[in-house]
Amino acid sequence: MDVESSVPGAGSPFVNRIMAPGDVVLDLTKASNVLRLGSGLRQDGDNIAMTKVGRLQFKKPNKYWVEGSQKRYIPNTEDVVLGIVVDRRFEMFVVDIGGPTYASLPMLAFEGATRRNTPNLQVGAALYARVVKAHRDIDPELCCTDASGKAAGFGPLNGGYVLECSTGLARVLLSKPTSPVLEALGKSLSFEIAVGMNGRVWVNAATTATTILVSNAILNSEFLTAAQQHIMVQKLLQKSQ
Amino acid sequence: SYKNGQWRTPGEVIGREVDFVAGKGTYSWHHKVVASVVGLQHIIPPSPDAADQRPTVEVRRQEEQGAVPEPGVVVTAKIRKVQPRMAVADVLCVGTRAVRENFRGIVRQQDVRSTEIDKVDMHTSFRSGDIIRAEVLSLGDARAYYLSTAKNELGVVSATSDAGVAMVPINWQEMQCPVTLQKEFRKVAKVC
Repeated sequence: MDVESSVPGAGSPFVNRIMAPGDVVLDLTKASNVLRLGSGLRQDGDNIAMTKVGRLQFKKPNKYWVEGSQKRYIPNTEDVVLGIVVDRRFEMFVVDIGGPTYASLPMLAFEGATRRNTPNLQVGAALYARVVKAHRDIDPELCCTDASGKAAGFGPLNGGYVLECSTGLARVLLSKPTSPVLEALGKSLSFEIAVGMNGRVWVNAATTATTILVSNAILNSEFLTAAQQHIMVQKLLQKSQ
Repeated sequence: SYKNGQWRTPGEVIGREVDFVAGKGTYSWHHKVVASVVGLQHIIPPSPDAADQRPTVEVRRQEEQGAVPEPGVVVTAKIRKVQPRMAVADVLCVGTRAVRENFRGIVRQQDVRSTEIDKVDMHTSFRSGDIIRAEVLSLGDARAYYLSTAKNELGVVSATSDAGVAMVPINWQEMQCPVTLQKEFRKVAKVC
């Protein structure tokens, strides 16, 4: 069993390994500096233990978190999410982001929004937002601007089609370098997508056939290797011609 | 029927307003004194030098009435839910007496503190499970009393950290967990 840490600087020997809830990954009495724990980890007395299934990640100098794949999304601050408006309340929208509770989106949290000039979002509208406040005791709060107040790609998404996937696939689609399936699709087709960490993808293309092809390719790609994803996309493109 | 010790029920007419002063457990209605609770009637004679020489009639309950929040009284409450513009709490004690039934209270965003009330973040003032000292502002609406923590001695008196340990106050805005040494924001009461 490999007990030596393969990541330099990491205090825990379990970095980049898949662990289960309850597994102790770090003993605090042996750690020398202040640690930052992301989602999926919890301090339990002198130990740091996992609270969900996933791969333990480490970023220098001191940040640990867990990346797992679930269907249910648990909101975290600074996640980008794709939500659907379900209600309009006093000075805020109620948005479904697929989490345990609905999120609230203040009407002023859009670029150029004032009390007199609020965005006109209807029930059922899709929007791209980032999570500003998330805690287990409160309903999450969203914002459709970046930290400086500019839209930066956030806001309502018009037309298109929203599909649901696992949170793991969403994370792969958002990662850099571009995921193989998106690269392969982008070479032959023109479309636009918005991916939310909550396991939702918005696809918009000129024709319905292209939208369907892109959606199917994305859903198929979850458990395929890069080469398999390229082959799968080629096959779909051939069939559609 | 003006004897002491007569049982009265709510709505029962005791006498005329010209003959009696309506005391505790009664109210006056259409120039009559009417009982408002179930209890024994007591007639208290007026003091000899009072201007109003009518006796006071009271209806006294057998059991002591449970504590009820009144405007101006400091209550102890437990926060149940924190929402963007208000926190919902259950009143546990009125003054030093525990309540017998459930009373709901609301702390609105503008009543959390006395300075910068439009910039209050409810999530950094209270969390679910915190015990607070608050003053009752008013009877509020049908659902809940309105509470206020806008004084130095009002606010969170007891809170547990994310690790489940009772926290220690550092200043009026922060409390610290003694085990993990993590600081959390609360509107802390200055308990002398």
